Amino acid sequence: MDLSEFVAGFLAEADDLLALANSSLLLAETASKDVKQNPRAVREAFRALHTIKGLSAMVGVEPVVALAHRMEAVLRLADQGVMRLTPESVDLLLQGVRAIEQRVQALREGKTVAEAPVALLGQLKAIEAGLLAPRATAPAQLDLSPLLLARLLPMDREQLLQGIAAGRNALRADFTPSPEKAAAGITITSVREQLKAHAEIVKVLPLSVADTAEAPGGLSFVLFLLTDGTPATLSTLMIASGLTLTPLAAAPLPPARPDELAGEARARLSAQQVELAELEEESAGTRPGLVRVEVARLDDTMEKLSAFIVTRYRLMRAVTDLAATGVDVRTLKQIMAENAKQLRDLRAAVLHVRMVRMGEVLERVPLLVRGLRRNTGKQVRLVLDVGNAEVDKAVADRIFPAIVHLVRNAVDHAIESPQERRALGKPEEGELRIVCRQRGGNQLELCITDDGRGVDRELVARRAGREVPESDAALLDLLCLPGLSTRDQATTTSGRGMGMDIVRRVAADELGGELLLQTKLGAGTTFTLRVPLTITIIDAFSFECGDQRYVVPVSMVEEIVELDPARLAHTPGARFGASLVERSGEAIPVLQLAQIFGLSEKTPATRAMVIRRGGEATGIAVHRMLGQQEVVVRPMQDALVRVVGVTGATDLGDGRPTLVLDLAALAGAALAKEAA
Amino acid sequence: MTGTLHVVFKVGGSEYALPAADVLQMESFTSATPVPGSRPWVAGVMQVRGRIVPVVDARVRFGLPPLERTLDSRVVVAMHAERAVALLVDAAREVLKLDPSQIKPPPEIVAREAMGLVKGVAQVGPRIVMLLDFAKVIGEE
Repeated sequence: MDLSEFVAGFLAEADDLLALANSSLLLAETASKDVKQNPRAVREAFRALHTIKGLSAMVGVEPVVALAHRMEAVLRLADQGVMRLTPESVDLLLQGVRAIEQRVQALREGKTVAEAPVALLGQLKAIEAGLLAPRATAPAQLDLSPLLLARLLPMDREQLLQGIAAGRNALRADFTPSPEKAAAGITITSVREQLKAHAEIVKVLPLSVADTAEAPGGLSFVLFLLTDGTPATLSTLMIASGLTLTPLAAAPLPPARPDELAGEARARLSAQQVELAELEEESAGTRPGLVRVEVARLDDTMEKLSAFIVTRYRLMRAVTDLAATGVDVRTLKQIMAENAKQLRDLRAAVLHVRMVRMGEVLERVPLLVRGLRRNTGKQVRLVLDVGNAEVDKAVADRIFPAIVHLVRNAVDHAIESPQERRALGKPEEGELRIVCRQRGGNQLELCITDDGRGVDRELVARRAGREVPESDAALLDLLCLPGLSTRDQATTTSGRGMGMDIVRRVAADELGGELLLQTKLGAGTTFTLRVPLTITIIDAFSFECGDQRYVVPVSMVEEIVELDPARLAHTPGARFGASLVERSGEAIPVLQLAQIFGLSEKTPATRAMVIRRGGEATGIAVHRMLGQQEVVVRPMQDALVRVVGVTGATDLGDGRPTLVLDLAALAGAALAKEAA
Repeated sequence: MTGTLHVVFKVGGSEYALPAADVLQMESFTSATPVPGSRPWVAGVMQVRGRIVPVVDARVRFGLPPLERTLDSRVVVAMHAERAVALLVDAAREVLKLDPSQIKPPPEIVAREAMGLVKGVAQVGPRIVMLLDFAKVIGEE
């Protein structure tokens, strides 16, 4: 990005900010004429000028920086309640905005930007200096604990007091978030949204409180509200959120105390702390230092990177061609090698961004267990031993429902009721343990262990109408029969959702991992999920050739063209049914995939996928295109099936492998073999 | 009687065996996805516990004429080193305990004619069961 791009960006933003500064100052002016302060307007104007200062410093427009700096200083004092804006001072600020507007305009027109007007700067500085003198103190004080008072900004206090003076209700609402509330969709954000419809929210303060059962996060919020309605209507509204409302009164201020000014200084000093608290509040829903990103954006990044990799291959080919003409390409090759390494690193970095901690994936499990405890009346202690393992977001999204199913099953079916456990001589409280480990280079092992009744082989066999299985593996096969339920009646918690067959399908068929079972009657059960840490997901076209389905990555197909038999020009020799077809004014060769595969296809192919083979566009004709979908690609590692043109296999949902083809390699190999 | 368990299966009317310890699982044969360009005796690939494993058609591998697959057709999935490979056989329904003393090296003519795929012959009553060299069957030298 060069400077001119910066300037364009600055110009675009400056207009909006200046408009905001203007409107806010006009609001502040109205208030100042009534010897009042409009704290919101002051805050807005301050923020606008602060941002203008920062942006203009970035593009190096010093006169604007100087003006914005002085104006910001005045507004900061007003914002902190150290001074109250007078109509005269607002007028000077509005002059300042106009002066900035003129300079921004000059910059836009490419003219010389005039220096900041010295007189105006001096006057602004004078307000700043003059108003550092003690101000008239507020006539009343809020009836609050000193601790809370100190956390409120002077402008917030003033706004509340003004509200009370105007006959409105000032209220304090206390909200304590908890996982249960969050699960029910009640968070500080939702509370805010609901309150906003009925009250003016003056301030939201996060408070750190003792970590108790009532406040599991050790965090609580105090919201200061102004409302025109009665507190009663609000409180009925907020019962569902577990919000407590307390009216706030204005107490007469004790006679001026000598430490009044020191108090103001303290208030100013604590501005930084307040900012921190606000940050905390904002991040309460997320986490400090974390960015939440939609997976689609990550996929997009990966796709862009793939395009980059394709370009690189073309570059490599071009270099090879160049070398063939006798040009010395040694330096180019060195750069290419370096470039290849950087690309690999970049790819690894992007993949790393997609990884999520298993700790986060399992975050909602305690909540789930808590709910199950309540529904079943069973006593269960959840032990999570998660470690630092990280998995790709796509893997996490696929295994979480399976984990939920296994946890549900364990609490619902495996762990006995407290009475039953007591009778069996077991502790009344059952234990459910989830252990997560990284295994080998690219595998996650997740064990879900309960100390419940174990799986009854005979019962399962009877239900399945099969012989009693000898091994745990065979037992698992029975459990994974579609639709098998070990209960006469589905219970409320486990009755719905996926069955064991789906759990295994996700773990094994979809992700290429495995599901294992170890169980001992009366002692407990362990389900082990082994899944890869990362998987390759591609956007693919599926099609039919012969009686088989195949997929090919969308990224490898330039275009899909209709084949009109009447307009195909058959070439002499016609290996692989080769013909020529017109595509945007160019004749390109088309090969029949069926013939490359050595199949005799009677009906003519209707479509061809245009791919690029060594720079040359080639059509690969197929019998029938089926569609486009995202597929998980699994490697085909065994030497017996490692063949050119087949990069892996996927499962299109029928439980059998569908081959992922590299059409370019396939066509190339076939042509080369035929020629030899 | 001491001995190790072996899975016994039929290919072309003869009986063959693999150590049960090497067998991952046995199941009815539904289908394999053909892999173009693989060797003629590779019937394709199938999914076994999430792994994509090759299916070796034992009949073709042993040089027998192909046979229409029946309800009796089975795949025996066995491990060799880290590889899992499925062997498509005509029928499989028995597990036998074979004592090492029962197993004799194959007569030279058998060893030669069977392309080294048979590494032992066991006499079980009136029956003759051939022990397969699984590594050779799946193409390892």
